[in-house]
Amino acid sequence: MPTTIGTGRQAVFAPLDDGAGRSEAVVRRLGSAIALGLIADGEQLPAESELATSLGVATVTLREALSDLRRRGLVQTRRGRGGGSFVRVSEPALTALTKRRVRELGSTDLRELGEFHAAVAGTAARLAAERATSAEIDRLNAAVGRYAEASTNAARRRTEGRYYIEMAAAAQSVRLTRQEIELQSELAELQLFPPDTTGWARETLGRHRAVVAAVKDRDGARARRLTEETIGLRTLAMIEVHLSLGAKSGYTLDSEAEASWSTPEGEVDDDQPGC
Amino acid sequence: MMTSRAADPAFYAETAESLVERVFGAVGRLREEVLDRRLTDLTPHGPLQARHLADLRPALIELLRAHRDIVVGMGMIVAPGLLRGERHRMEWWQLPPGRDQPAALRVDLNPESLGFYDCDSAEWFDVPRRTGRRHIVGPYVDALGTDRYLLTFTAPVVADGTFLGVVGADVPVAQFERHLLRAWGDRALVAGQVAGGAGRDVRQGRDARQGRDVRAGEGRAGGVEPEVLIINSQGRVVVSNCARALSGDLLAGEPAGTGTVRLDLLDVPWQLLLTERLVPRRPLVRNQP
Repeated sequence: MPTTIGTGRQAVFAPLDDGAGRSEAVVRRLGSAIALGLIADGEQLPAESELATSLGVATVTLREALSDLRRRGLVQTRRGRGGGSFVRVSEPALTALTKRRVRELGSTDLRELGEFHAAVAGTAARLAAERATSAEIDRLNAAVGRYAEASTNAARRRTEGRYYIEMAAAAQSVRLTRQEIELQSELAELQLFPPDTTGWARETLGRHRAVVAAVKDRDGARARRLTEETIGLRTLAMIEVHLSLGAKSGYTLDSEAEASWSTPEGEVDDDQPGC
Repeated sequence: MMTSRAADPAFYAETAESLVERVFGAVGRLREEVLDRRLTDLTPHGPLQARHLADLRPALIELLRAHRDIVVGMGMIVAPGLLRGERHRMEWWQLPPGRDQPAALRVDLNPESLGFYDCDSAEWFDVPRRTGRRHIVGPYVDALGTDRYLLTFTAPVVADGTFLGVVGADVPVAQFERHLLRAWGDRALVAGQVAGGAGRDVRQGRDARQGRDVRAGEGRAGGVEPEVLIINSQGRVVVSNCARALSGDLLAGEPAGTGTVRLDLLDVPWQLLLTERLVPRRPLVRNQP
C-alpha cells in the first residue's frame, strides 16, 4: 500500500545521500532519529532487507551499522519468533555519538550550519511577526512552555526543535518549515546540553520567550535579531566544544571526562580515535 | 456603467460560497458513507476497529478522484478512545496533482517525538468536536503532516449523540486561488467587453503607451476589476486578486479606497472586502515597502 508518512519520520527512512562512511552515516541517521523520538523507545526497526532498501545501502553496510548501534546500547536484537531489532534510548550513548560527530566535523562546517539555521529561523521569526494569528502566537507560547518543562536532554532537544518548526509554520512558509524540519534532524546529532551550572538553560528560555514577545508586538526586526543571536551563541558553544575535543590528541575514555561538557556518570563511551 | 457591473460584491461572494459548498458537499458525502456503514452500531456493541475504517476506503478514494481538481486529500479521524489500537485512528488519503495512485497519509502519533502530529488539539479536529459544526481552518502550513499550505474543511460525525470523529478534505491554497481567480477573471472580462468593447488588451495597451510599468496587481488599474480580498475570522487573507495582500497575510487595517464594501459570506466564517481601484494604493499588510 503506498503511503506518505508525516515529514518528520519520512526523513528517517529516506535514502542516505552522503557518500563517505556509509555505515557511519546509517548510525548517525538512526542515532539522531532516536534522539528526537522519531523512532520511539522500544520500537521495532523494519526488517534488515527492507531498511537497507529504504536507506539505499547494502545489507552488509546496514548490518555493520546495526552492530555498531548494538555495541552502543541503542539497539537490542532478539532472536526467534517476534524477534528483530528494537530501539533503546540511552542518553549516554547518544551523547557519545554527538561528541564524535562534533569532533569529526570542521569548525567551518559547524559555523556554516549555524549560519544557515540562523538565516532560516531568523527569516521565519520576522515573517511570523508579520503574519502569525493570535492562535498561532498561542501555539508558540505553548511550545516555549514545553521547552521550559523539559527536564532531560532528549526533551530539550525535541521541544526546542518543535519551537523552531512552529515558528516556521507561523511564518506561513512551507519551504521554511520543511527546511527547519531538516535542520532539526541535522542539529540533533550535534547539540550537546551541558550541565546547567551557568544558567544557560534559563537564559535560552528567556531568549525564546523574548522572540515570541517580539512576534506578538509585531516587531519583525527584533524577532529576527534575537533569533539570530540565540543561534549564533549556540553555534559558538558548539564550536568551542569541537575545538576542545579536537585538542585532545591522546583522546581516551579518561580524558573524555575532562572535556568542558562532561558526560553523565556511567557513560559507555566506546569511542576510539579514528573509529 | 461597466465598473458597477464588474464590481458587484455579491458576484464575488457567491463564487467563493459555491466553491466552499462544493468542498463541503464532498465532505458531507463522506460523512454519509461513514454513517451508511453503520460504524456507529459497532461502538456500543464492540470496539471500532481499523478494518471497519478500511471498509470506507473505496468510497473515499472515489470521492477524492471526483474532486481532485480542487481537493488533494480526504479522510476521517476517529475520536480518541473509540478505536482499538490508537495508532490507526486516521484514514486519510491523498491524491496530489500529477499522481495516479492515491496514497495513505500516516502521521507520527508519538507525543514524545519531534514529529508528533497532535490530531486532538488540531483546530480542524477540536472545533467541530466542541461546536458540533463544520469548520474551515486556514490558510495554514500543515507542518509534520502533509507539509502543504492548506485550507482544511472538516465536519463532525455524530450518531445517536456519540461523537465518532471528523471527516474532512484538504484544499491547497493555490488550488483554491486558481479556481476563484479564473471565475472572477472571466466575469470581469465579460463585463468589460459588454460595457464598452474594451477588454484587457486595450487597457494594457494604454498602460504601455503611458510608459508605465505594468506590475502584478496594478496592471488592471483601469478600474474595471475591483480589488477583492477574502479574509478569515482572524483577519488572515484566504485569497485575493491583488499582489499587496496575498493568502496568509494579516490585514493591518481597512483597505484605503473609496467604495470599500465589507460583506459576510453566507454560512462561511469569512468576509469579503471589495475596493474599487480609484485611489493611490497604500500598503495593506505590515512592513510592506
